[in-house]
Amino acid sequence: MVEAPPAVDIRGLSKSYRIGHLRAQRRQAVHDLSLRVPRGVVFGCLGPNGSGKSTTLKLLLGLLFPDSGSATILGQPIGARAARQSLGYLPENPYFYDYLTPNEYLDYAGRLFGLPPGARKDRTRELLDLVGLAEAADVHLRRFSKGMLQRLGVAQALVNRPELVFLDEPMSGLDPLGRRSVREIILRLKAEGSTVFFSTHILADAETLCDEVALLRGGSLVAKGRLDQILSLDVTHMEVLVSGLGPQEVSGLPAGVETFRAMGERLVLHVPEKELGDVVVAVEQRGGRVLSVQPVRQSLEDYFFAEMGHPAKGETWTAGA
Amino acid sequence: MRRVAAVARNTFRESVRERVLYNLLFFAVIMTVSGLLLGELSIRQDAKIIKDLGLAAMDLFGTLIALFVGVGLVSKEIERRSLHPLLAKPLSRDEFLLGKFAGLGFTLLVNVGLMTGGLYATLLALRRGADPALLKAVFAIYLALLVTVALALLLSILTSTAVASVSTLCLVIAGRYSDVILNLGDVVPGMPAWALRAVMILIPNFRNFDLKDRVVYGDPVTFGDLGWITAYAAAYTGTVITLAVIAFRRRELT
Ligand SMILES: Nc1ncnc2c1ncn2[C@@H]1O[C@H](COP(=O)(O)OP(=O)(O)OP(=O)(O)O)[C@@H](O)[C@H]1O
Ligand SMILES: [Mg+2]
Repeated sequence: MVEAPPAVDIRGLSKSYRIGHLRAQRRQAVHDLSLRVPRGVVFGCLGPNGSGKSTTLKLLLGLLFPDSGSATILGQPIGARAARQSLGYLPENPYFYDYLTPNEYLDYAGRLFGLPPGARKDRTRELLDLVGLAEAADVHLRRFSKGMLQRLGVAQALVNRPELVFLDEPMSGLDPLGRRSVREIILRLKAEGSTVFFSTHILADAETLCDEVALLRGGSLVAKGRLDQILSLDVTHMEVLVSGLGPQEVSGLPAGVETFRAMGERLVLHVPEKELGDVVVAVEQRGGRVLSVQPVRQSLEDYFFAEMGHPAKGETWTAGA
Repeated sequence: MRRVAAVARNTFRESVRERVLYNLLFFAVIMTVSGLLLGELSIRQDAKIIKDLGLAAMDLFGTLIALFVGVGLVSKEIERRSLHPLLAKPLSRDEFLLGKFAGLGFTLLVNVGLMTGGLYATLLALRRGADPALLKAVFAIYLALLVTVALALLLSILTSTAVASVSTLCLVIAGRYSDVILNLGDVVPGMPAWALRAVMILIPNFRNFDLKDRVVYGDPVTFGDLGWITAYAAAYTGTVITLAVIAFRRRELT
């Protein structure tokens, strides 16, 4: 049996934008990017602002044309109608028509997929429930908040029960409830066998959702793979929260204590795992109290800071949620 | 085809919701006021004046809509990126463009149709028979509007909204005074004949579509005449829309 082609297969994709008054200069946005996304996974495309995530998505959707390189989507070349029949796309900062209501917009989307009227109606109701917009189904979009538009954006990406969904910063503008529901939607899509390819610079989202990630920087691929392969999942150290110790008493603690910082009255000590016992004893001997002990693994965030240091020119970096 | 219709439908809905049909109010006011005034005065020529005024207003309002809505038709969608999610669906760029054109074409049809109804209503209210020949002039006006939309669309894809507005307006005006261009040879002495011909072919000849005077003053307009201008409009619009489709296929949507 022939193996099904990967969901996304990018080969040497490059793209530069023309900039400047005469559009004579070029800025490289994606540089020789090769990437293969297997079917059925949640794939995260991570990178600082300006690292080329959105540009990559626009190239894959045929909105922009590559300078060189190529890609296939669900085994079809970029732009093939057969592939678009099974795709979903949420653009970044989506804009839909001010003068339509969510009901009307989703109906329009359903027409483009050739859904019959009954199916459009059912699917619209289902999706508005899913993204929590049922109450606002007949409100004109001009009166929508940013987060509400984002929710509609997620809904319109799912009209056709896509096999492959591209989401450009799906969490942006959402409140905590909205974020959680998008997380649940992504996991549900995966459970139903769809592939989700999303971009984000929020590392926590990637950590909780992705099977695999690609790290972009300055338009180039920095690392790619399963998260547990990129990150060392071993415990790197223990975080010990203590109270009742002053800085001078801490300096007398066993050599194992690497760093400490104050949090109000309390201190957080970073202690290698094997020194833990000695440190706890030493803290108590000096009249302090151990409030909690937490193992710490390397996070994507640590990885990024360690690997990337300060951002490349033209990038800014947002860490954390 | 279904997808083109879906885009056209949404375009028509946009024009209704964005109050493109408000010009009908002005038209109604013009018709009512002139009808009342002329009814009072009961001049013998009043029917001609009403017809003239009605057709001229139709032409003016139609052209303004074709030009300004036409220029924003696709460029606004590119700017606001509202077409990004649509083009990710099984809708091609060609279908999108044709749907936008058809949608505005339908808006103009409704608009012109309602104005025609208003004109006939005014004539009937003044008891001046409903001259069916007026429909010939209305038809020609509508053809000219389609040509204008096509030009606005092409120019808006090739240039910016501002440049497209101004250049479409220039073409519309130049096309109405194409006899002046014919005499360009006298104004610019060295101009070779072929260049003159090229300019004449490139600029749409809107005079062909102006049947107002002929209809109002009772010169016969044959179906052969109508067939000829229909063919001209179809050829011109077809060419311009084809160029627009080609330009739009290459357009990068950032
Ligand atoms: N329309 C454009 N014209 C010129 N340069 C652009 C354009 N869009 C993006 N760029 C440049 O291309 C590079 C990549 O931008 P892109 O939008 O793909 O980044 P991103 O990873 O999506 O960033 P973000 O996290 O902020 O969304 C940046 O250097 C940006 O300045
Ligand atoms: Mg982006």
